[in-house]
Amino acid sequence: MDSIIILFITGLIGLFAGMSKKPVASLLIASFGLIGAGFAAYYRGSYTSPFSSYAAFVPTQGIVIILLCAVTLLAVLGGFKRYKNDDEHTGDYFGLILFSLCGAILMAQPNDLMLFFIGLEILSIPIYVLVGIDKGSSTSAEAAVKYFFTGSFASAIILFGIALLYGATGSFQLIEIQSNLAIGIWQSPMAMIGSLFLLAGFTFKIGAVPFHFWGPDVYDGASNAVLMYMSTVVKIAGVYALVNVFGQVFRDSYFFWIDLVSLLIVISMFYGYITAWKQTSFRRLIAYSSIANAGLMLFALADIHNSNLFLFVAAYALATIALVVCNQAINDDSDHLANWEGIAWKHPLIGIALVLALFSLAGIPPLAGFFGKFSLLWSAVPHVPYTAILALIASVIGAFVYLRLLLLALKKPSVSIRIQLSAEQMLVLALTSVASIGAIYFI
Amino acid sequence: MALILLPLVFSLMAWFVPSAFTRLFGLFATGVALVWSVVAVCYFQPEEQILIDFGLRFVRFSIDSLGFTMILLTNAVFLLVYLSNFTGKIVNDRKFTALALLMQFGLLGVFTTNTILGFYIFWELTLLPIFLILYWFGSFDKPRALLQFFLYTLLGSLAMLLAVIGLMHATNQQTYEALLVADINALGNTSIWLMGGFLLAFAVKIPLFPFHTWQAETYTKAPVAGTMLLSAIMLKMALFGLLKWVLPIFDGVATDFWRWPIITLGLIGVVYGAIVAIRQSDIKTLFAYASLSHLGLIAAALMLHDDNTNQIAVVQIVNHSIVSIGLFLAAGIIEQRLGTRQMSELSGIAKVAPRFAFWFGVLTFISLSVPFTAGFIGEFFLIKALFNAHAVTGFIASTTLVLGAVYTLRAYQVPMFGPSKFASFQDLNWSEWLVFAILSVAAIYLGLAPQCLTDFVAHSLTQPTH
Repeated sequence: MDSIIILFITGLIGLFAGMSKKPVASLLIASFGLIGAGFAAYYRGSYTSPFSSYAAFVPTQGIVIILLCAVTLLAVLGGFKRYKNDDEHTGDYFGLILFSLCGAILMAQPNDLMLFFIGLEILSIPIYVLVGIDKGSSTSAEAAVKYFFTGSFASAIILFGIALLYGATGSFQLIEIQSNLAIGIWQSPMAMIGSLFLLAGFTFKIGAVPFHFWGPDVYDGASNAVLMYMSTVVKIAGVYALVNVFGQVFRDSYFFWIDLVSLLIVISMFYGYITAWKQTSFRRLIAYSSIANAGLMLFALADIHNSNLFLFVAAYALATIALVVCNQAINDDSDHLANWEGIAWKHPLIGIALVLALFSLAGIPPLAGFFGKFSLLWSAVPHVPYTAILALIASVIGAFVYLRLLLLALKKPSVSIRIQLSAEQMLVLALTSVASIGAIYFI
Repeated sequence: MALILLPLVFSLMAWFVPSAFTRLFGLFATGVALVWSVVAVCYFQPEEQILIDFGLRFVRFSIDSLGFTMILLTNAVFLLVYLSNFTGKIVNDRKFTALALLMQFGLLGVFTTNTILGFYIFWELTLLPIFLILYWFGSFDKPRALLQFFLYTLLGSLAMLLAVIGLMHATNQQTYEALLVADINALGNTSIWLMGGFLLAFAVKIPLFPFHTWQAETYTKAPVAGTMLLSAIMLKMALFGLLKWVLPIFDGVATDFWRWPIITLGLIGVVYGAIVAIRQSDIKTLFAYASLSHLGLIAAALMLHDDNTNQIAVVQIVNHSIVSIGLFLAAGIIEQRLGTRQMSELSGIAKVAPRFAFWFGVLTFISLSVPFTAGFIGEFFLIKALFNAHAVTGFIASTTLVLGAVYTLRAYQVPMFGPSKFASFQDLNWSEWLVFAILSVAAIYLGLAPQCLTDFVAHSLTQPTH
């Protein structure tokens, strides 16, 4: 609760600080808010908060809140350059991102479906606005409208699923729903359809097949700064919520939905990686890569009691943010992959961060991406061995995609032009690089 | 601890060395690593093990006598690679130095790690630097051949990753010692699948017959230093994995199942590699196929899994490192001086470069495994072991002696003798000469006294298994 309050207040201050025409002030306020929210989550257990009676209101684990805050911090630091000179939107950008993060924290590990739905909407609505914040651009407006319509549709599906579950069990509380389902109601059509509706809504939110189609268009229309946030935090919060709801509520119908989820994993991974192969626009490539990674994240459902999701989503978020920051440095307007040729030579930090991020996404040890994938598969293999085999074959295609990008970036240019990075961008690249190597100490 | 971490530290330092001193730094770094390991081996009792723990949950190290042999081999190979390219452009590049030292760290990790996951992590870690070395310094026109190399190995590695996860789940163990005593045979068919995962990774890396298609093109297009690193030490990881990890751990149902398929593939590789090598016109491609032939023999013999053969296989592993550094160095010298590797365009080099002709000749004979060289001991006993297993396998394996003579002598005779097409050929400089001399002395010493190596590794190869 403290984290959400801190974020909300600093978000408000940041929103109004934007009017002062001093963008650094907004950035500092937002950063303090994010760091403060992280610390509040860290110390939550060890002191009595004045809001402790609301503790159960936000059951999200401290570690997940810290992860969400850290990823958002990296995203706003990386995206700052875009809004530094845009007086009109500096405050909006920071304010909306912090408000949206409140929703992410609220929904990540819910104990109540109503509360979860409120969190989901708080997460989503600012992002609809953020995608369209670039009012002059028609692709941005198109993306915003597309995202708004499809997103509201998915919210409606989730709401319908919640309603059906309420009808079947008479409760919004996850514990009560579970205990009611356990006595055999889960076989009732109402509960089964409800669980499928929830699954469909979740796959939409995290962008897995078959509800992935909005991803490429929206990612393409959003600016790099917004992409950094929406391709990471939304996915992390969504997949945590999915694991939490399914792990708690639908434990008994495990064998009813696990085959379906396995199918989604396999199709998402193959579809995402194969389509990413021929992309010519960077943000579309990231979109397809994120579809495949969403498929991988679904592996957390295979072992619902012990899903080792944390390292994987952290590694994915770090690598994606590093890539988008690099893209922003050279490619903020045109977004053509052709501009990537030789960018590793334009700044040493870009080179290091790119190599680490792409190898990490490809899952090469000893980088974070490998340990993430390993810990996910570690708990999933005994439950869904064949899915794991197919997923590994798909990862080889994925490695192809990332290596193609890497080879393009590493191509030695005939004339090397150095580019300038701003201090925040260098900080983000350095942090992501260190973290992707340092992950070895967390397994 | 420093034994393993030194190359990593040097690799990080290499980024900050001024480019004028890069090659000296590389020589210094690999030299220090070698001297350090030689000193360490002097204080090492072959019966004991050195345990190293950095406080990581899944990665721990223990060095036994086989591990020490491989450490010495690795460090020596890296020093020789530096020496042999010392006048070339590549060692002046700090990217190469840093990546090569990182790769050395990865290799040392593979040879010393004590946990099965650590083995996988270091195995993959070596792939990263060699990939970048090949990309930056190789002559790949299109990334296709390079990606083929990477994806072949990655596919094999991922099969191994599944097998590692499966093995850790099935036995609930992760250290080498615990896996040795775990009851793998109780798993039945699962153990066959698990071993199959490991074997796929190894078959790509060694390479065995149907998985070898990446090899020739990668070797040919790679820079000489990269080819040397690949063939002299990187492929040995697979043989080492077979020797130390897979065969002892899966001793029983799984090994019995896979023994004859792997021996068959190895022997097909022996004959096929040799025949293809005979038909090659590019001297580097020829040596690549020769490598396929030699390694197939070692892999086939390892599958027999008896202690004496294993000891001899270690001799042959060392011998193959010596031979491949020497032959690829010779090919590199020819290419560097004359700008071509096509045998049809080469002739009469011996007349203008007598010193090169002499040392290339010595290496050719070492590669032919004439008596009093390490190769003789190695091939003779490996073929004998295959004869004992079955007369047909022994017969097929022994064709390598005849076919090997054909392609090796052809690779020597065509460029070296005949009418001289070239007026000038800069003869060996001191660093190349030194490498050839060291290689020859080592091969002849091992040929005269192989027991110094076989007795040393015997301690870690004759452990009681389940």
